[in-house]
Amino acid sequence: MTKRQKQRLVRGVLYLVLLAGVLAVGLLADWETTRRNFFNAQLAREMFPDVLTIAARNTLLYTFLAFSFGLVFGLVLALMRLSSIKPYRWLATIYIETFRGLPALLTIFLVGIGIPIAFGTRWPTLVTITLGLGIVAAAYMAETIRAGIEGVPKGQMEAARSLGMTYTWAMISIVIPQGFRIIIPPLTNELVLLIKDTSLLFVIGTTPATKELLKFGRDLLNTHANATPLIVVGAVYLAITVPLTQLVRILERRNARSR
Amino acid sequence: MATPANEVPAIEVRNLHKSFGDLEVLKGIDFSVMPGEVVCVIGPSGSGKSTLLRCVNRLEESSSGQVLIEGDDITHPDADVDALRSRIGMVFQAFNLFPHLSVLRNLTIAQQRVRRRRRAEARDVAERTLERVGLSDKIDAYPSHLSGGQQQRVAIARALSMEPDMMLFDEPTSALDPELVGEVLAVMRDLAREGMTMMVVTHEMGFAKEVGDRVVFMDDGAVVEEGPPQQILTDPQHERTRRFLQMVG
Repeated sequence: MTKRQKQRLVRGVLYLVLLAGVLAVGLLADWETTRRNFFNAQLAREMFPDVLTIAARNTLLYTFLAFSFGLVFGLVLALMRLSSIKPYRWLATIYIETFRGLPALLTIFLVGIGIPIAFGTRWPTLVTITLGLGIVAAAYMAETIRAGIEGVPKGQMEAARSLGMTYTWAMISIVIPQGFRIIIPPLTNELVLLIKDTSLLFVIGTTPATKELLKFGRDLLNTHANATPLIVVGAVYLAITVPLTQLVRILERRNARSR
Repeated sequence: MATPANEVPAIEVRNLHKSFGDLEVLKGIDFSVMPGEVVCVIGPSGSGKSTLLRCVNRLEESSSGQVLIEGDDITHPDADVDALRSRIGMVFQAFNLFPHLSVLRNLTIAQQRVRRRRRAEARDVAERTLERVGLSDKIDAYPSHLSGGQQQRVAIARALSMEPDMMLFDEPTSALDPELVGEVLAVMRDLAREGMTMMVVTHEMGFAKEVGDRVVFMDDGAVVEEGPPQQILTDPQHERTRRFLQMVG
């Protein structure tokens, strides 16, 4: 056999495996039951418009709040890690390692039950949500932001300082803006992760008005004993996240070009 | 150049030492630049000349010794380093323009933040200094759209727009394509002619000979010899200077 014939043989086998897999699923699965349980058109229609006006809206709102909190607090943590003052560096490191190492669900749960115990009252749901998810987001974003700041060439800080700018001003007007430009793609990735992590917020306890997408879907799954709501909710997640990941791809390509 | 005996040097370096870990890169430098003087520092790479220049505005911390800027000790722990630096313009080998800002903003940002000038006033100064380096038409451009030579001229204009008392140049033409070196040297020549105090670390022997009032040859962390360019570059007294000049010449 020539090399070329061998290659063609391998390709043919790979296609056959794929075909066999599809056939196996197609012939072995119970399509009628699957259709009834996962693709009930009637039930799917009934989910609108609430799945968008309540559930998706809440998911986006929680994401926005946690992301904003994470961005501001993450920047503070990143600057602490780069600080010349040792205790600041330690504190930031401990914080970051702790909340990146814990399951997000555990942190959210702790915030949810911890605040009422520690402060004697329940805080508004939105505040609890922002904290619960934002605390985790800040830990991840701090590392991204730090990498961005460190990615700015040293000469930029030196040029700013040589003009008489203070460290703080040089950071604010020269280094941080350039650092953020570098990290827009990874930050968008973190935004996507955060969108999905809002599905963990159910542990804080929700009312019909504060349900996010997954909780909304799961509750309908329970009342109707039918999985269609999960499919619909999944489609809504994808409608939000896929455009964002595509955006990241475009931004990364542009960044690679400008370099 | 007439230098009254009682005049305060623009830059005075006294017994400066600098180590990176175990490596001593400056081994007790005594060095000065008088107001209006153009001093070119030459020497092989690794001789410590860039480190010396960076110690002058304290971008590099010295290990011991003093640096006086117009009589003020910038190495003193209580020195107002930012205020002193604003009197010293610095030009880097890699230009270090701010890529996210337009040429105009590159020239005005420190004027506004450090000199507390109003926007319109800062703009006026920026326009004037850009004219001096011949780049008035690039005021709204971004650094990435300029050639290396143009970027370095903008960098010079950025330093000049702070109206410094002296200028430090750290191998300002070393990162440039050969055909772009001339335009930068021309700007520096004009500056020297206008009486700017300049300390120039350079490999451009032609520039040192033509523009320099004094040439300082450094090797292995020490000043080997210094004097008028004619003398140092054509009739050096030390063997090391001779060897270096043969290599670059």
